[in-house]
Amino acid sequence: MTQEDIKNLILEIIEDIDDEADFAGLDPDQPLRDQLDLDSMDFLDIVMELRKRHKLQIPEEDYPQLATLNSCVAYLLPLLKNA
Amino acid sequence: MKVPLLVIGGGLSGLAAAIRAARFTPDVLLVEKHSRLGGLNSYFYRNKILFETGLHAITNYAEPDNKKAPLNRLLRQLKLPRKELTFCQQLQSEIVFRDCQSLLFSNDFELFRTEINTKFPKAVDHFHRLLQFLHTFDPFLPAPFRSTKKFLAEMIPDPLLIEMMLCPLMYYGSSHEQDMDLSQFAIMFRAIFQEGMFRPRGTMKDFIELIDTHYLNLGGTRRLCCGVKNIIVQQNRAMGVELESGEIIECNHIVSTIGHAETFRLIAGHRVPEEKLPRLGFIESIFHVKEPSPSPLPADRTIIFFNDGHRFSYASPVDFVDFSSGVICFPANFRGLPAKSMREIRSTHLANGSKWQNLAASPAEYTMQKQAAAQLSVQLLENMIGSFWSNIVYVDTFTPVTIERYTSKMGGAIYGSPNKIKDGNIGFSNLFLAGTDQGFLGIIGSMLSGVSIVNQHILPKL
Repeated sequence: MTQEDIKNLILEIIEDIDDEADFAGLDPDQPLRDQLDLDSMDFLDIVMELRKRHKLQIPEEDYPQLATLNSCVAYLLPLLKNA
Repeated sequence: MKVPLLVIGGGLSGLAAAIRAARFTPDVLLVEKHSRLGGLNSYFYRNKILFETGLHAITNYAEPDNKKAPLNRLLRQLKLPRKELTFCQQLQSEIVFRDCQSLLFSNDFELFRTEINTKFPKAVDHFHRLLQFLHTFDPFLPAPFRSTKKFLAEMIPDPLLIEMMLCPLMYYGSSHEQDMDLSQFAIMFRAIFQEGMFRPRGTMKDFIELIDTHYLNLGGTRRLCCGVKNIIVQQNRAMGVELESGEIIECNHIVSTIGHAETFRLIAGHRVPEEKLPRLGFIESIFHVKEPSPSPLPADRTIIFFNDGHRFSYASPVDFVDFSSGVICFPANFRGLPAKSMREIRSTHLANGSKWQNLAASPAEYTMQKQAAAQLSVQLLENMIGSFWSNIVYVDTFTPVTIERYTSKMGGAIYGSPNKIKDGNIGFSNLFLAGTDQGFLGIIGSMLSGVSIVNQHILPKL
């Protein structure tokens, strides 16, 4: 997966959680949660969807690395390079 | 047979827990002892007419765009599209302390605020301070029991206003006599006064079927008429269950929604936790009334919470029923409901669970007592809403005995044990408690309970 693929994957998962999520003006370096009005329960869905779709086991201590769109890409790129 | 997750109890918290897990691992099994799903919020038929068991109104109303509201968070977590549900909001409800004062409220909080401004002008600033406090208070942080009565007494110098505010909050969500935990108060205040009440446009049967279908579509399995005989435990780990049929089901995790003591009753060699405080029982009557009745029934009240006189007592009564307070529900008085040929009125009072239990041994006396209770309830209601006795075509009454028979809640206590286990941890590594005894009450609350216990304890380990 390329950086772009991973970005799209994350946005697709979020859209799946909240079909009214508004990505216009989303700052990739700011926390997704604040910008999209997501809470910790929604956030868990991102982790669970990654596990379901790509068999990724993300340990709880790594959750903070999924805070922004860019940090998601940085964290997931090595894990999904063969996906 | 072995499953990753077994959910005990097919009430709304169990269904929510099962759906939440099935979204990520389809092989979830839910077992329900009764022949129907829904638990306390189920339905039955009499004379081919469908009756709902527990529902008066669902609290926590929120508009679809309010993403952080519990209702919308819940629907997202279950992946139930809001569009598939049609909700009807309450018209308005009222707290009536007879010969004393009354307060209207609706899903527009301004109404309640105006009522307090007008009727308790001296308490306006204090009420405002309470709202400020609630705005910053986090009721979900783990904290020991803190007395709401004591807290309110220090904040609001008007005991009548305090009791009037507490009356609906206690009746719709306190398992505790005469007081409630401050966190529970904050949750209920928001759920009832600030968010408000609604119901689905269809029946509870439609609602449960929608949820059940959703669960089955996710790949989950459920069995009805499937009681658990015992939970097989080795040290602090649950290995599986033995069903009443003798079948053994192994599992990696269990979520039990049947209650704290009720769960321990199924574990051999473990003592059922002792409860130091009494459980609260309720009696509810449903009246079907032919219209027009001698005096027009209220068309613009959804729920009336009432108390006779000044002091409000929320406690297990000495007698069979405490008629000095109660709740009247008009299930037709929600905005946008389809018209029905018959008007329904429901009344609820506090009842003494063990007195009813003891009487149940003599069926004739039990029936007589039940009829007498319904009759006394009607008399009381008529003082408030006008006469309808002569137009009643059907009456059904549930006592704590009825509730225990159909839901297996000890003592027929719909809000369960007075002690809640907020993190669901009852001392096992893979068996957790959700639902009533976890502490989130009401339909939205109990469903969020199922979801959050699965999020916290099951999903990270699946």
